[in-house]
Amino acid sequence: MIKKELINKSPLRKMDNSIHGGVGIGNIGVIAARRGIGKTACLVHIATDKLMAGKHVIHVSYAKKVDHIISWYEDIFKEISLKRDLEKAMDIHDEIVKNRVIMNFSQQGTSVIQVIAGVSAMMDNAQMDTSVIVVDGFDFTKSSVEDVAAFKSFAGNKEVELWFTDDYHRDDSDGPTLNEKGIPTNLVSFMDQIDVIFTLKAEKDYLHLYLVKDHETINTEDLPLKLDPKSLLIAEV
Amino acid sequence: MSLDIEMMRNIGISAHIDSGKTTLSERILFFCQKIHAIHEVRGKDGVGATMDSMELEKERGITIASAATNVVWKDHPVNIIDTPGHVDFTIEVERALRVLDGAVLVLCSVAGVQSQSITVDRQLKRYGVPRVAFVNKTDRTGANPYKVRDQLEEKLGLNSVMMQVPIGLEDKHVGVIDLITMKALYFDGDENYAVRETEIPSELVDEAAEKREIMLEAVSMFDDELMEKVMEGEDVPEELLNKAIRTGTLANELVPVYIGSAYKNKGVQPLLDAVMRYLPSPPDIENKALDLDNDEEEVILPSDPSKPPVALAFKLEDGQYGQLTYIRIYQGTIKKGADLFNVRSKRKFKVGRLVRMHSNSMEDITEAGTGDIVALFGVDCASGDTFCGGDLNLSMTSMFVPNPVISLSVQPKDKAASDKMAKALNRFTKEDPTFRTYVDPETNDTIIQGMGELHLEVYIERMRREYQAEVDTGAPQVAYREAISKRVEWEYTHKKQTGGSGQYAKIKGLMEPLKDENYEFVTKIKGGNIPTEYIPSCDKGFQTAMKKGALLGFPVVNVKMTVLDGASHAVDSSDMAFQTAGLMGFREAYRKAGPIILEPIMKVVVEGPTEFQGNIFGSINQRRGMILASQEEGVNSTVEAEVPLSEMFGYSTTLRSSTQGKAEFTMEFAKFAKVPQSIGEELIKKAEEAKKAGK
Repeated sequence: MIKKELINKSPLRKMDNSIHGGVGIGNIGVIAARRGIGKTACLVHIATDKLMAGKHVIHVSYAKKVDHIISWYEDIFKEISLKRDLEKAMDIHDEIVKNRVIMNFSQQGTSVIQVIAGVSAMMDNAQMDTSVIVVDGFDFTKSSVEDVAAFKSFAGNKEVELWFTDDYHRDDSDGPTLNEKGIPTNLVSFMDQIDVIFTLKAEKDYLHLYLVKDHETINTEDLPLKLDPKSLLIAEV
Repeated sequence: MSLDIEMMRNIGISAHIDSGKTTLSERILFFCQKIHAIHEVRGKDGVGATMDSMELEKERGITIASAATNVVWKDHPVNIIDTPGHVDFTIEVERALRVLDGAVLVLCSVAGVQSQSITVDRQLKRYGVPRVAFVNKTDRTGANPYKVRDQLEEKLGLNSVMMQVPIGLEDKHVGVIDLITMKALYFDGDENYAVRETEIPSELVDEAAEKREIMLEAVSMFDDELMEKVMEGEDVPEELLNKAIRTGTLANELVPVYIGSAYKNKGVQPLLDAVMRYLPSPPDIENKALDLDNDEEEVILPSDPSKPPVALAFKLEDGQYGQLTYIRIYQGTIKKGADLFNVRSKRKFKVGRLVRMHSNSMEDITEAGTGDIVALFGVDCASGDTFCGGDLNLSMTSMFVPNPVISLSVQPKDKAASDKMAKALNRFTKEDPTFRTYVDPETNDTIIQGMGELHLEVYIERMRREYQAEVDTGAPQVAYREAISKRVEWEYTHKKQTGGSGQYAKIKGLMEPLKDENYEFVTKIKGGNIPTEYIPSCDKGFQTAMKKGALLGFPVVNVKMTVLDGASHAVDSSDMAFQTAGLMGFREAYRKAGPIILEPIMKVVVEGPTEFQGNIFGSINQRRGMILASQEEGVNSTVEAEVPLSEMFGYSTTLRSSTQGKAEFTMEFAKFAKVPQSIGEELIKKAEEAKKAGK
C-alpha cells in the first residue's frame, strides 16, 4: 500500500469524521481513560497519522526518560507499516522522524508557563512549521482553569491543534470517575477550554472508543472504533 | 604465581574531565603503598602523577590512554585501569570498559553530574559495569554531596544511596560518618594518611541516624532477611548489610555513594574498602566471546583457570622497555613459554616475557590466571586482538570497526620529521583501529583519518611530543561516502586488438543497493561462460572501482554485485581483461544506478541553562541538524540532535558565544546518511573545481 492510500484508509479518518473534520487549529482535544489503558498508544497513533500527512508534530511529555517515548513511536510505526504493508516504509519513517520533536519535562511540577515557554522556543527557533502538539501525562486533576486556558490561548496564537491525554483515575479515589453525561469528572471544570473529548473503555477483550464532547455538542456517542489490545492501534470494530 | 581469583578486583575510574580522577587514582596507588611520594597532576615538582605516563597528559591535565596498574589493598590484588574520559576516544574507552569488572564513578561535589559523567555512565551501562560513586572535592566552596546524589538519580537514573555523612563541608571538611558502622572517621593522622575512628560528634547524631534509615530502606530491597529485620526494628548485623549492598551493586540496581577529597587525602581508604566489599571479582561477571568457527555465535567463558586460555589485548604501549601488550585473561592460565594463537592475524606466537605492571615498574612473572590483567613483551599484534590457546578460535570483540568520519592531511616539516612521523603513524594505527592513514596517490599527501576533530588532534600532539615529529596539517575534511539508490542490470565488453595478444572479457551483471554491509560479491555463472579462474578478477575489478566513486571520488559503499553471465575468448581473455571489464562495467552501471553522496551524521548532545534553550535549538537548526528530543529539568536543558559532521566545525565557538559560555556539548558518530540534493550538487561542483585546479 502506498502512503496516500494508507492515510485515506486509516481508521482515524472515522475519528475525524465523527468530530466534523478534526479538532481544529486553536482547539484542544483530549483522550481520557483510566490509568494503563492505552492512552499513550492512541496519542502516538494520532501523532503518527499527522506526521504521515506531512505535518510537523511536537510531543510533550512528563516522563522519566525520552527513550521510552521514541520506542512508542517506533512500535506504532512498525505496526502500521506491517499491517498495511506500507511501501517505502523506511523512507517514510526517516521523513517523519525529521518532522517530530519530543520535549520532555522531567521535573515534577513543571509549570504550564515553563512548558509553553519551552515549546514556544522550539517553534520559534527550530520547528517553525509545527501544526500539531500532543501532550502526554498532563495532570488535569492538579491544574487550574487558568492553566488549561493558557494552553488554549497558546494553541490559538501559534495556530496549532493540541491533543492531551487525561488519566481520570489519578488520585485513586473511589468517587465516580465519569459524570452522568459520560464526561470524566476531573475535566468537568474545563468544558469551556476543551473542544473534543474521547474516552476509552475496556470491553471484554478490547478497548472501545467513545466520543463524549464534539465541539459544542455534549453527547456520548458510541464510535465504531476500538483500540486493538495486541497492536495498540486504533482500529475499526 | 596465580592470584586468588575471588579476591581479585579489576576496576576502572571514570569521570568527567577535572573531577579529580587522576588525583584519586594516584592517591589509591599511594594508599596501597606502591608509590612513595605524592605528586600532583599539574605537578609543582614536575614529576607528574604516576598513572599519566604520557607527556601530553601531564600537560593537559587529562588522561588519554589507559594504563593498567596492579596494587594490593588489604590482601586484595587490584588492577586499576585508567580509562580516558573524552568521547572522541571512544574505541579506547570502550576497550578499557571491556576489561574491567567494576568502576568508581568520580563526580565533583560542586559541579555534580556533568555532560561527560552522563557519557561515561552510559558507556558503563552499556557494558553492565557495576559501580560505586565517589563524590570528590568536598573541600571546595559550594560542595554539596547530597545534591550530587540527587542528580545521580535524576540525571543518570541510578538508584544511588549515601553510605556516609560528611563531617563539615568546604574548608571545614574533616571526615565522614560511616553509616554502616555508625562511627566517625577522621583523616587527620600523620599527613592524613591514617584513619582515626571515633564516636559520632553529638551534633551529627540525629542526621546520621536519619540518613542511615534512608540507606537501610534502599538496601533492604535486596535481601529478605534484612528487610524483615529492618521492618521489625531489630539490630542489623554488618555482614548482612554488606551482603545486601553487594547484591544490589552487582545487579546494577544500587550505587553506593562515598564522599571525600582525594586532593586532601580524605575519604580514599573507605572508598577502597567499598570497592573490595561491593564491586565484583572476575567470576562474578559473565564474559562472552564470539565463536569465529560458528558464525560469531556467543559463547560464555567460565572463569576457569584450567581451561585453555582466552585473552584480549586491550592496549599497546611503547614504553621505555619496548613494546608492551596489555592483556586481560578471561579464561585459563597463560604461562611463560606457552604458545598462543592470535585469532585475527591467525599467527601463533610464544609467550616470551610475562609481566605484571605496577605504576612505573614491572615485575616478571611466570604465569597469570583467569581474571588477571598482565602485559606481554614484544608481541606483534594490534589493540583489540584476541589470543587463544589450545584449538580455540574465539574472539572477544566483533571484527566490526566503524568507518572514519574525518580526515586531515599531515606533512612533515623536514626529512627527519618524515621518518619519525612514519614511525608514529605505524604505531598509532596498531593501537587504534579507528585511526587510519594512507597516502593520497594524486597529491602525495599523507592523510590521517579518525572519529572526530579532537581524536586527530591528540594524535598530532602525540607525534610532536612522543616522536618529536613536527608536522603541518591541512584543514579537516569530512569523509564522505558514495552509494547507489537503484538496482540496475548491466553488461560490459572489454575488447582490444592492437597487435600482439588481444584482450577480451564480457561481463553481464546486476548492481544493487545493500544495507549495512559495505560490499557483497555473488556469482551466478553457469556452464563456464566465464572461466572459474577469472571470477575473482571480476570481483577485484569491482573493488578497485569502489575505491573512488564518480561523484566526489570518495569510496563507494553498500553495493551488491552479482555476475550473471559473460563471455571469454580462449586466447585473448586474461585476469587483466576481466579486471578491466569489472572496473569499467562497474563505472558504467554506477552512473545509471542513481549515485548519491552519504555524509557522516553525528549524535550531538547539548547541555545548558533553560534560559538559552531557544539559542541552542536555533544553533542546531541552522546547521541542518535534526532535534530528536529535548529534556528540561528545571534550570537545565539537554538537547539531543543529529547533525551532519560537515556542519559541526566551529560549533563550540558558536555555542559558547550564544549561551555566555554556559552550555557544553558532546558528539559521537551516529551513522552515514544521504546528503540533501542541493548540498550534494554543491559538493560535486567543488570537487570538479578542485580537480581542475589540481591539473
